Amino acid sequence: MNLKLSLKKSLDGFSIDVNLSVHEELLVLFGPSGAGKSLILKMVSGIIMPDEGVVEIGNERVYDSENHIDLPVRNRRIGFLFQDYALFPHMTVYGNIAYGINHLKGPMIKEKVDELIAVMRLSGLEKRYPHELSGGQRQRCALARTLAIEPRVLLLDEPFSALDFQVREKLRADLLRIHTLYPITTILVTHDLEEAFMLGKKIAVINNGRIEQAGPREEVFYRPGTRSVAKFIGTRNIFDGTIVGLDGPLVTILNKDIGLVKAFVTEGGELQTGQDVSFCIRPEEVIIIRPDRPLDYRVHDNIIEGEITSIIGKGSTQIMFLKTGSGDTFLKIEVPNFVVRKLSLGKGRHIRVSLKKESLWVIP
Amino acid sequence: MNLFPLYLTVKVSLVATVFTASAGLVLAWVLAKKEFFGKTVLDVLIMQPLVIPPTVLGYYLLSTFGTGSPIGRFFENVFGMQIVFTWKGAVLASIVSSLPLFVKPAKAAIEGVGNDLENAARLLGKTELYIFRTITLPIAWRGIMAGVVMAFARATGEFGATLMVAGNIPGRTQTLPIAIYDAVQSGDTYTANLLVGIITLFSFLVLYIAERFTKGRF
Repeated sequence: MNLKLSLKKSLDGFSIDVNLSVHEELLVLFGPSGAGKSLILKMVSGIIMPDEGVVEIGNERVYDSENHIDLPVRNRRIGFLFQDYALFPHMTVYGNIAYGINHLKGPMIKEKVDELIAVMRLSGLEKRYPHELSGGQRQRCALARTLAIEPRVLLLDEPFSALDFQVREKLRADLLRIHTLYPITTILVTHDLEEAFMLGKKIAVINNGRIEQAGPREEVFYRPGTRSVAKFIGTRNIFDGTIVGLDGPLVTILNKDIGLVKAFVTEGGELQTGQDVSFCIRPEEVIIIRPDRPLDYRVHDNIIEGEITSIIGKGSTQIMFLKTGSGDTFLKIEVPNFVVRKLSLGKGRHIRVSLKKESLWVIP
Repeated sequence: MNLFPLYLTVKVSLVATVFTASAGLVLAWVLAKKEFFGKTVLDVLIMQPLVIPPTVLGYYLLSTFGTGSPIGRFFENVFGMQIVFTWKGAVLASIVSSLPLFVKPAKAAIEGVGNDLENAARLLGKTELYIFRTITLPIAWRGIMAGVVMAFARATGEFGATLMVAGNIPGRTQTLPIAIYDAVQSGDTYTANLLVGIITLFSFLVLYIAERFTKGRF
């Protein structure tokens, strides 16, 4: 079932204005806290009334301010997973899941609940109350409850934020498995970059109540359309420059501090010589040039020299900051631990790195 | 020993509590969950009996429901029912004076039921009445029961307004508190002591039960 929405709402010093359309897939709505993500879900479900707009599920308009359509929440058949799950504390797992089943009768209800209990790995917990469940079990119980009504659309509001790190990993995988099993049009809201990357084949980046960019995961992550999108998706190396040369897909940019940088662009049509642009590279895409080996032709361009000013462990990788140019430009580099060991990288070392033309992304 | 005042007090309090709890539940829900014009005024009006003198309250009721008033005449003509100076008047006085004691805890309990829970039920396709019955009420019931107990206790002790509206007619409208007043006035210390003992023990028990209820020990 397709979901189309176009919503506007003004609040104190903040406004939301979004257009989105989701086609039988899982869309991750990603953005910082306070960007308006949860509010959008609440407006789609009807819990909060927008100022104006349209919400369309399949061919049915459930909300249309112009034509005064506002279908009551109970008739929208939208599954909604609350951030804190909102399980009914006085009902058992079974009772919670069965609560919303209005379309089945007698033994069919039990069949449906049993099916969901098995899928959600809740077998044996049917008679437990929510306070007797772990965080992960609670989340799965709440998800089962929303799926029990066979919703047309599923809205998940930060479904993993209340969970421990270890549980989160497992439950994310669970969610993907469940989404394959019940391929319902889904919007998942998160402020966690890793989560967005892992779960969303399509991602919409929201900031300040506006969708900054929406598209397939790879496109959003490696080709951010604006500086703020680049920032949110963890690109820390964003620099300014002026285009000094255009040659087909190859662009030459002059940065006052680093010098000339060459980059490939996929759509060079909109760029012009003399134009001010930003360019960026993800920290894990920066390649360290080994001094003991001849220079590979693939890393021939954009070679930058600098001094490592700090190095911080981050589990399986290390984050280094490289002071380059005249000393005002810092490049963030993420390398696996074994590389750090092998090249004995450390604070104060001078190294050379390459910013591959293909890895650089130019933001007009 | 005449036990009629005891019997009348129990009867009046039970009937009054049924009305207080029914009307009070609707009021508590409206005040807890709805936003509307004049909400504060309604809230203040319901709480009035806590602060205005019972005799003033009784006077209001007497003038509103007396046989000379339109409402009093309406009840008399349509239902053939006289309210003032009957036991029904005592019920009326008890309802109005016990209402705030019920609404306050019931409203707090209903407010305590998170909006997310009710929204979750709405999203699961349920009507407002069904949600109230299956979610709000079961979760808030301790606070509501505490309100019921408080309202009942207040009704048994009602004196000033009852005296104004129902009068002091032995064998017809003389409730326990009024009987105590009567006994003391006529120097019947034995009856006074007995009735005082009964009502003291009763009040203690009621508050004890209410306290245990709100703390979840029953």
